[in-house]
Amino acid sequence: MSAKGYIALLLFVLLGFAGVWRLQERIDVQQSAVASEDDQVMLRSSKLVKGLSLEYAPLVADIYWTRVVQYFGNKHAGQQLDLRLLWPLLDVTSVLDPHLMPVYHFGSMFLSDAAPRGAGRPDLAAELLERGLKANPDEWRLYYDLGFVYYFDMKDYPKASAAFYEGSKNPKALFWMKMMAAKIATEGDSTETSNFLWQDIYNTTTDASVKENALTHLQLLRTQEDCKHIDVAADEYQKQFGRRPVRMNELVLGGLLLGEPVDPLGYPYVLSEAGKAEISAESPLKKKAAKMPGSK
Amino acid sequence: MTRVGTVALNTFREAVRDRVLYNLVFFALVMMASAILVGQISIGIEQIVIVSLGLSAISIIGLLISVFIGVGLVSKEIDKRTLYALLAKPLRRWEFILGKFAGLALTLTVNTAAMAAGLFLALFYVKHSIERADTAVLVAVYFILLKLALVVALAMLFSCFTTPLLAILFTAGLYLAGLFVHEMRGLQGGLIDPALGRLLRWVSYVLPNFENFDVMGAAAHGRIIPATLVAQNTFYAVLYCAIVLTVAAAVFSQRNLK
Repeated sequence: MSAKGYIALLLFVLLGFAGVWRLQERIDVQQSAVASEDDQVMLRSSKLVKGLSLEYAPLVADIYWTRVVQYFGNKHAGQQLDLRLLWPLLDVTSVLDPHLMPVYHFGSMFLSDAAPRGAGRPDLAAELLERGLKANPDEWRLYYDLGFVYYFDMKDYPKASAAFYEGSKNPKALFWMKMMAAKIATEGDSTETSNFLWQDIYNTTTDASVKENALTHLQLLRTQEDCKHIDVAADEYQKQFGRRPVRMNELVLGGLLLGEPVDPLGYPYVLSEAGKAEISAESPLKKKAAKMPGSK
Repeated sequence: MTRVGTVALNTFREAVRDRVLYNLVFFALVMMASAILVGQISIGIEQIVIVSLGLSAISIIGLLISVFIGVGLVSKEIDKRTLYALLAKPLRRWEFILGKFAGLALTLTVNTAAMAAGLFLALFYVKHSIERADTAVLVAVYFILLKLALVVALAMLFSCFTTPLLAILFTAGLYLAGLFVHEMRGLQGGLIDPALGRLLRWVSYVLPNFENFDVMGAAAHGRIIPATLVAQNTFYAVLYCAIVLTVAAAVFSQRNLK
């Protein structure tokens, strides 16, 4: 082939691929319309999938787990609240490979978090973790996750305490799990306990999104504590001056606060019409607080 | 073009004479029968199961034919030394490549049509009618055919410069990669290095996107597939095949056959 022939061939290929690129972008638009159909999991029977997977069940489990992550991630990115398929997918994955730990750890998070962050099904999260513990009784971390779900999402403090206690029996478990079990059994819900648990997650997790979530919870816990203190000061102000304060600097001028308090992101707290402290509407934490009902 | 047609017709005849094809069609019929059986033991989703299984069978069998026979189209002629007799005639190498491609595409069309007829018979057996919504199944079959044409073109390209075994591996590898193009594009947003993300995005547009032809879910649920998508996918397959076959013809023209 002559040099001209090579150049012509190269040009044809380049122009051809440019055409393919443009065409692909248009096809993507059309495909998204066709693909936005109802989500489907054709094979929901975990036993059937396991049978069909032959000796490759662990590999199929990995594929299913990837699909769980894609499904959850896409729904999350698209702000879609309907996570109906999360449980069937996790169910099949955990049966295919009962020893795949991320399925229990992250799967329980996806399931238990309240909408819009998760599926809002802590009951299924607990079921998944119980299943994980049955298959992996030596995994103390699953007890930790289970205690977490019972404590934060189900507010079932006796069960949370029991989960932490069971986990603490494992010699590899975190040293504080037994103390936590006792503390929850005695006090139930407390800011101190919540703070400790979130701080531990923040310190130990290697996953960026989990770390960010833990940080948000820690920041929101601090705002709750700050607001409580400001409200106490406002009550005192009312006793001294016979009316609720309208602005924060009134509390400072009245000598009840040393300075105008700010939230963990540096935005000053504000007083509501009822004279109660709250996060400023300008603070990004306000939106985050709205997304995490009962963030404690 | 008469010479291309002659090569195509002979390729078709040769493929039809090949007993492997009959075995595969037999396999397809067995799949259809199992579709009916599975349909009967699954409550409420008989039609979905039959369409999904039937389309899957058509796709898998078509892929086997495309890859194995597509790779053999050129290499077999070289091994048997029949290519020398052919090229001694007034036949250009690109005409040979195009003719072989057209011949196998024709074979695949006939086979796919036969299997699609079997699928519609199975559907009719279950539903006792064929509705307008079932045209989506027909579109899905057409998309499978487009996909197979693309696979044949790739198989032929690889068989022009490497051994049959490697050509099969390359084609199968590219096919698998082409099924994950969407995921490749989605691997961004902090998950991987941004530079790698950009590179993958580029690669994703250059790779043959076999996901374009996947409308099995929509067909199973009787959803309308837009005519625009049919036209775009047709144009995509034609354009991509043209690029691949041009490169294949260029490579084959340069190949020393002595």
